[in-house]
Amino acid sequence: MRILLTLVRKDCANFLRDKATLSITFLVPIALIYIFGQVFGINRKDSGPSGIQLAVVNESRDPAAQKLVEALAAEKAFRLVTTRAGAGPAAPPLTEQDAQALILDNQLRFGVIIPRDLIREDAIGVRLKILSNPRNEIEAQMVHGLLQKAIYSSVPELLGRSLIERARQSVGGARMDRFAEALATSITNTFGGDRDAIQRRIESGDFGLSFLQRPAATRTGTNSEPSGSTSPLAGLVGIETQQVVGQQVKRPEATRVVGGWAMMFLLFAVSGSAAAFFDEKKTGIFQRLLAAPVRRAHILWSRFLFGTLLGLVQLTALFFAGRVMYGVDIFGNFWNLAVVCIAAGAASTSLGMLIVSFTPTSAAAQGVATFVVLTMSACGGAWFPISFMPEFMQQFAKFTIVYWAMEGFSQVLWAGQSFVQILPTVGVLAGITAGVMAIAIWRFNRGRLFE
Amino acid sequence: MTKRFGGLTALDGVSLDIARGEFFGLLGPNGAGKSTLMSLIAGLRAPDSGTMTLDGAPLSVAKVDTRKALGLVPQSVALYEELSAEQNLKIFGALYGLRGAALGARIDEALAAVQLADRRHDPVKQFSGGMQRRLNLAAALLHRPKLLLCDEPTVGVDPQSRNAIFDFLERLNREGLTVIYSTHYMEEATRLCSRIGIIDHGKILAFGTLDELLAQLPFEDEITFPATEVTAGLAPRLAALGSVSSSRDLHRFRPHAGTRMSEFYALAEQHAVPPRLLAHERPTLEALFLHLTGRTLRD
Repeated sequence: MRILLTLVRKDCANFLRDKATLSITFLVPIALIYIFGQVFGINRKDSGPSGIQLAVVNESRDPAAQKLVEALAAEKAFRLVTTRAGAGPAAPPLTEQDAQALILDNQLRFGVIIPRDLIREDAIGVRLKILSNPRNEIEAQMVHGLLQKAIYSSVPELLGRSLIERARQSVGGARMDRFAEALATSITNTFGGDRDAIQRRIESGDFGLSFLQRPAATRTGTNSEPSGSTSPLAGLVGIETQQVVGQQVKRPEATRVVGGWAMMFLLFAVSGSAAAFFDEKKTGIFQRLLAAPVRRAHILWSRFLFGTLLGLVQLTALFFAGRVMYGVDIFGNFWNLAVVCIAAGAASTSLGMLIVSFTPTSAAAQGVATFVVLTMSACGGAWFPISFMPEFMQQFAKFTIVYWAMEGFSQVLWAGQSFVQILPTVGVLAGITAGVMAIAIWRFNRGRLFE
Repeated sequence: MTKRFGGLTALDGVSLDIARGEFFGLLGPNGAGKSTLMSLIAGLRAPDSGTMTLDGAPLSVAKVDTRKALGLVPQSVALYEELSAEQNLKIFGALYGLRGAALGARIDEALAAVQLADRRHDPVKQFSGGMQRRLNLAAALLHRPKLLLCDEPTVGVDPQSRNAIFDFLERLNREGLTVIYSTHYMEEATRLCSRIGIIDHGKILAFGTLDELLAQLPFEDEITFPATEVTAGLAPRLAALGSVSSSRDLHRFRPHAGTRMSEFYALAEQHAVPPRLLAHERPTLEALFLHLTGRTLRD
């Protein structure tokens, strides 16, 4: 028994001394549990997505349209964009063209157009238009559901108004007023109540149709047929859904998924490559190299170039596998995809080198890398849309390489954007690379790696 | 040259002049400053004070091109073990500007010299320790340096491989290569080196040929014998012939200059001390080394 306990004590001592294993055993799962907890709304009063920017174009003068806007604003998942940015306090309201441009420019992914003829004149019912860039299917489905919920909660009043308007057109305004007065009098005489109030409700179309508030399914496309659902409102609410971006993508699901997983494994690969520095130090190869006509800068930058090349090759290979297995179209915008892959590879390599510059051993570097890569992949949108997370985490995501790489892949493969259009994203990745490499080189020059 | 690491002075005003074609041994215990001195010469570190020149040209960390004249055999096997012997040599040769046929010829020559020509395509990880050490040496010689720095290159090597390395180094030295050889094995320094510097605590304690160094010993012979009842009468009588240092179980006798050893043996016979208990040691490099560096264990 004593021998057994001695051996167990030995295992415990080894385990506690191995910081990499400790990190993977405790720190990584705790971080991931926290992130997934935030995604699924555990301990959050306001679970579900949040902070999704939604362009709202209200072309209608109808007060009910304003109520619809207010209903959308009250939905915590959305942050409404109703005016042109940067135009000062007196910014003009958005137009449909503005909303489309914002979506095409990837500044936001969803928009609602409330048309001037919100209340149909040709039939009983209302019409709305949804613009979308469903680059992430899960997010798109959730947003459409939330949009419909907000719309249908406002629609009964609109439907009543539609009925009244239709009746006015049919029988004339004066007759309609007399009809409303007579009907209110009749109701008051039969059931009691305030005749004037009842008349006002009839004239405003408030017929108590709230029982109809049940969200309908939607479908995407560029046609303007009413939504083909089984909801009682389906025939009364005409929702035209226009997919602004990605219509040409043949395999949207695979196009969305491949980039995220590719990025995560790229980060693992380049972190491992950077950690090989420790092996080279341990085996004396650095001594041999630095005794040759080789500078430290040669060693650092050669590893950076290798990592970047590895990134390009690995990402291209994984996207090519996506093409073979799922038909992802990588050749339609191949050179821009290559540019994003190079930028993502460079940024990932710089991160790997930064981790190595701050850690004392290969095992420690691998432990930190595992933690950083998994956390960054989860937060950066490699696994699920970042809109599922609280807004502060969405803001944090913008500091991650994964987020910007995913943006780049989306711009190239989903939106088919040009080189000029992807430059800002590539520029952010290049900026991250420059900043992180500067810190890493500073650390390498002060650290003991080359001692 | 002086080199400090924080509060520790690793090299304290070391000054050496090594002639072209010399096989210079740097002998010292662990932590004496051997590797620090080698790293300064190799340009891996800069001294805090002092300068180095090779054939009159200054050597420094910043002057990368001057390192082409140097070859370093690190203490560890500094090779890419997943790559073959030939791939390793191609990489290290290319770093010194060797290309194409010239590089190929040098690789053939180096592999033949270290008797690894038939294993050139095998990954280094499949090599024995001795083979790896030989390849480690070959990698430092591809560019034909003027000065070869060997930092304990035979650690953990079997006698056959060690002998092969010695033979190879001796041949290179005969052909004109200057070698600085760091070791703590006395027999290596004795066999290989034309001059030896004994270093400890960052200072050169002794410097010269083997004979010159041995002459620095304050004694020529040393006789040790156990401290037992049999020898109890002998030890006090030796003061007239030389110095005696005694520990709990051992007496160490060193004769005065001019004392004949026959006088000692006659005295031992008088006290009936059997000759088998007497260990007579001639002056050795190890004796000098221990005399200069002490017997305290080093970490």
